[in-house]
Amino acid sequence: MKALMSLGALVGVIGILLLGGMIFNVVPSTTVRLVEGYMPMQMLFELTCFVAGFAGLSYMMNAMGMPFPRFWQGIGFWAFILLYLKYRVYPPIPFSVRAMYGTVSLVAVFMWVSASEEDWKKFKQPIMNVLDAQGGMNKLLRYAYLVLLPILIGGFSYNAMVPKSEEPIELRTVHPAPPASTKVHGKTYTLQTSQNPYRVNQEGKYDQDYTNANIVEQGMGRLMKPNANPWDDKNKGYLKYVREGGEIFFQNCHFCHGDNLNGRGLHAFAFNPIPANFTDPGTIAQLQETFIFWRVSKGGIGLPNEGFPWASVMPPWEQHLTVDEIWKVILFEYWHTGYYPRTWD
Amino acid sequence: MGLLTGKRVFSIMALCMMVGLLLLPIVIALPSPAIGEEAPAGDAAKKDGDKVEKGRDVYYKTEGIVVGAPAPKTTDGPKDYPRYNFESRVLIWFANQQHLYYGSFVLAVPIFCMIIEFMGVVTKDKALAKRYDQLAYDFIKISLTAYSLTAILGGILIFTFLTLYPAFFGYLSSIFRPVMHIYALMFVAESGTLYIYYYGWDKMKEGFLKWIHLSMSVVLNIIGTLLMFLANSWIGFMMSPAGVDEQGRYLGNIWHVIHTALWNPLNLHRILGNMAFGGGVVAAYAAYKFLAAKTDEDRAHYDWMGYIAMALGVAFLIPLPFAGYWLMREVYAYRQQMGITLMGGLLAWLFIIQATMIGILFLSSNYYLWQAMGRMRGAEKYQRYIKYLVFLLICGFLVFITPHTMVMSPAELKAMGGQQHPVLGNFGVMSAKNGGINVMITTTVLSFIWYMRGNKVSTVSWAKFGNIFMGVFFACAYINIIWLAIYGYYIPANVRVGLSVPQVATTLSCLFFMFALNSVMMRGAKQMGAIEWGKISVRSQYALIMLATAFTWMMALMGYIRSSVRLFWHVNEIMRDNSPWAYTHTVGFAANMISFNVLFFWISILFVFWMGSLGAKKVPVEAKAGIPGSVPQPAASH
Repeated sequence: MKALMSLGALVGVIGILLLGGMIFNVVPSTTVRLVEGYMPMQMLFELTCFVAGFAGLSYMMNAMGMPFPRFWQGIGFWAFILLYLKYRVYPPIPFSVRAMYGTVSLVAVFMWVSASEEDWKKFKQPIMNVLDAQGGMNKLLRYAYLVLLPILIGGFSYNAMVPKSEEPIELRTVHPAPPASTKVHGKTYTLQTSQNPYRVNQEGKYDQDYTNANIVEQGMGRLMKPNANPWDDKNKGYLKYVREGGEIFFQNCHFCHGDNLNGRGLHAFAFNPIPANFTDPGTIAQLQETFIFWRVSKGGIGLPNEGFPWASVMPPWEQHLTVDEIWKVILFEYWHTGYYPRTWD
Repeated sequence: MGLLTGKRVFSIMALCMMVGLLLLPIVIALPSPAIGEEAPAGDAAKKDGDKVEKGRDVYYKTEGIVVGAPAPKTTDGPKDYPRYNFESRVLIWFANQQHLYYGSFVLAVPIFCMIIEFMGVVTKDKALAKRYDQLAYDFIKISLTAYSLTAILGGILIFTFLTLYPAFFGYLSSIFRPVMHIYALMFVAESGTLYIYYYGWDKMKEGFLKWIHLSMSVVLNIIGTLLMFLANSWIGFMMSPAGVDEQGRYLGNIWHVIHTALWNPLNLHRILGNMAFGGGVVAAYAAYKFLAAKTDEDRAHYDWMGYIAMALGVAFLIPLPFAGYWLMREVYAYRQQMGITLMGGLLAWLFIIQATMIGILFLSSNYYLWQAMGRMRGAEKYQRYIKYLVFLLICGFLVFITPHTMVMSPAELKAMGGQQHPVLGNFGVMSAKNGGINVMITTTVLSFIWYMRGNKVSTVSWAKFGNIFMGVFFACAYINIIWLAIYGYYIPANVRVGLSVPQVATTLSCLFFMFALNSVMMRGAKQMGAIEWGKISVRSQYALIMLATAFTWMMALMGYIRSSVRLFWHVNEIMRDNSPWAYTHTVGFAANMISFNVLFFWISILFVFWMGSLGAKKVPVEAKAGIPGSVPQPAASH
């Protein structure tokens, strides 16, 4: 047990030193990299290690007869989480999300320090000492709080109310609900039931499983499956259509959406927001092919009312591409990212 | 003996009368389905000549003879939308929400009474049986005052509809004419049954008569549930109409109109939701009485009452997210755009608020259980591990509330390098959220098990093996849930949706198997000390109040979301809302309105509680003898 706690304590100390180093730019922020594809679990794993580390640290300090007061444990842990979110996670997390996480962490700290009566007494003791102000130092602190707290609250209020020149916060609807049907080149497509006519097997029949088996592998590298190279001239059917879709993509779309389909094309940074990142699991991986068909055909100008603030400069591609070309581009996007379009069966 | 036989006969007659009341509306309604495909309208039309107009059901795609008028095409003006100098929609919203709160409460509480009364009847410990019986009686007493208020609010709602939305209500009542009459008759049956059940309590408190009384509560709850199902058919029709053609003309099949795509998921979701809500409100009542109590006896009683109500509420809260998941799945299957509007589009941020409220419910429940361990001697051994449960809960919660579409300024958007955050964006999709909520529920189950064994030490010979097995089972459950959440990113969406089944199965396995195993292990366990009812921190009581407030807030929020998803339709894709208020409110306005509704409900229910306490003051001393006080609660009852 003691060895385990010592190991935990070591992890805790290293973690604190690393984070401190990153905050003060002593340690490069890339020392422990967030690895693409594993970042969400890496973050949760790191936090788990820190909790284990702090538990070990607390245990060791107790064992050495230098217990760390519960009050400062709670405050310290909360501060650590805030700093972790601010300085460790990159790219920067928007304030609204950090505020949510910070509040939840505060609740967590409260639940932890007040889970038992004994712990709660320990935690609130320093607060009670200051309020009771029996000693000289506590009296001084109480006066300091009496002056500082109103100033602090006043400062926050002033800051909240003072007119700012910043652009307002936007509650953007990234994937607005599509219409039930859409008319492209004179033909009406029902979005719930239409299918990509090029998602076919070697017999030319619509086959989701066949095409799913031939997309690139997910994860790092995005490698092609053996015998599923669309640029092999001998290919027919699905892989041939993927190649044709790829050609259309690189002639029309990659300038903005990028040659890795990650939304970082040549022109991407002229826009805010930058174009959609198809490799993110929150974009095409969540949607039906017909949704993409509708968005590509109608472009930013065709966004419905709820697509506020309509922050999309994508042209309505129905004015430049045929229906077949649009379907083939979509086929290519799914193939290249290794994602499967959403289906309902 | 003769008196007893007379009572028996009387009780059986009363029960038969209730069953009769239950069946009466159905018998009266029997001719109504005949209006459908074959009968009167069709016959009449045939007699008149060949002018039989047929229409195609918008949902069932079956053909039927048109027997109703098309949905009115309303225009903004005093004819279709008469109004005060105020937004009519807000008035309807308020009336509807208050009626729903009270309706849910009076439907949920009798179900609690039934469960608690049954526990009292089957418990062998006479003192405990008496306590359960008294508790059930206390519950129904609260419900009775709320019942009349429900009826009053229902009347206000109808009048508000009639006066502010006459065209819409006229259309709805023309479709649901027989259903509305059945509803009214069921209400009469519910009232009659409730009064007999309440006033017959003392007369039927022992032996065979008690079983008759218990049967009455079953009948009462069947009527109540059917009432709710009928009301649900109206909102189901508004969201996913069926039984009418494209113009909204009724095609004569009343079952199609009732049995719409969303009716059954709504029914299940509302039953569970009502129960959880009812538990929360009663728990808050008990918490309020605990905080105001002046004697140890009162504190002990209300502590126990709060615990029972909370346990019942949480028992129904645990399956609630799964029922919600089914409802959303059906919404997506019905109309993809409706699903996207809800969870990915216009209303997505309200779902984040909902996720936050669900999280608060689980956090409050867990916190209460940890606090409740404080009233048991021997539970200290679990205290040092609570921080790890907090961590698990909070990790699940953080993932669960991470928005898919983050609120940010354009500068933040630019700094982030795109709309999707590469780390947190992954938490914003369903696969991660399923993992998050299942981790939270499993942790709640674990907290419950710790609570149940708090003051006990198992004496079975295989106790060590049992403990290790439980530990490994929970560890495997967590690993399985998290692994499936990660795996969900690597498979097609239709398979991913199916992954929720093994995740839910894992969670429910923990619930059922571990509860069962724990009960077997704790049979004949050594008690470290009695549960000292009343000796619980005041923080726990605030947790109960928090639980109830979160329930009420979430209920109002979800009602608003469900209603708003129709966007500018009174009846989705059939009858358009042409009033000036056919737009979706801002999130801020909706939140304020929801808060106002919650506040109003709590103020009014305090009034109901106060009324209940006035009645209690008149109870003679001997009737209070059975009220539980400092009698220690046998731990086996948990």
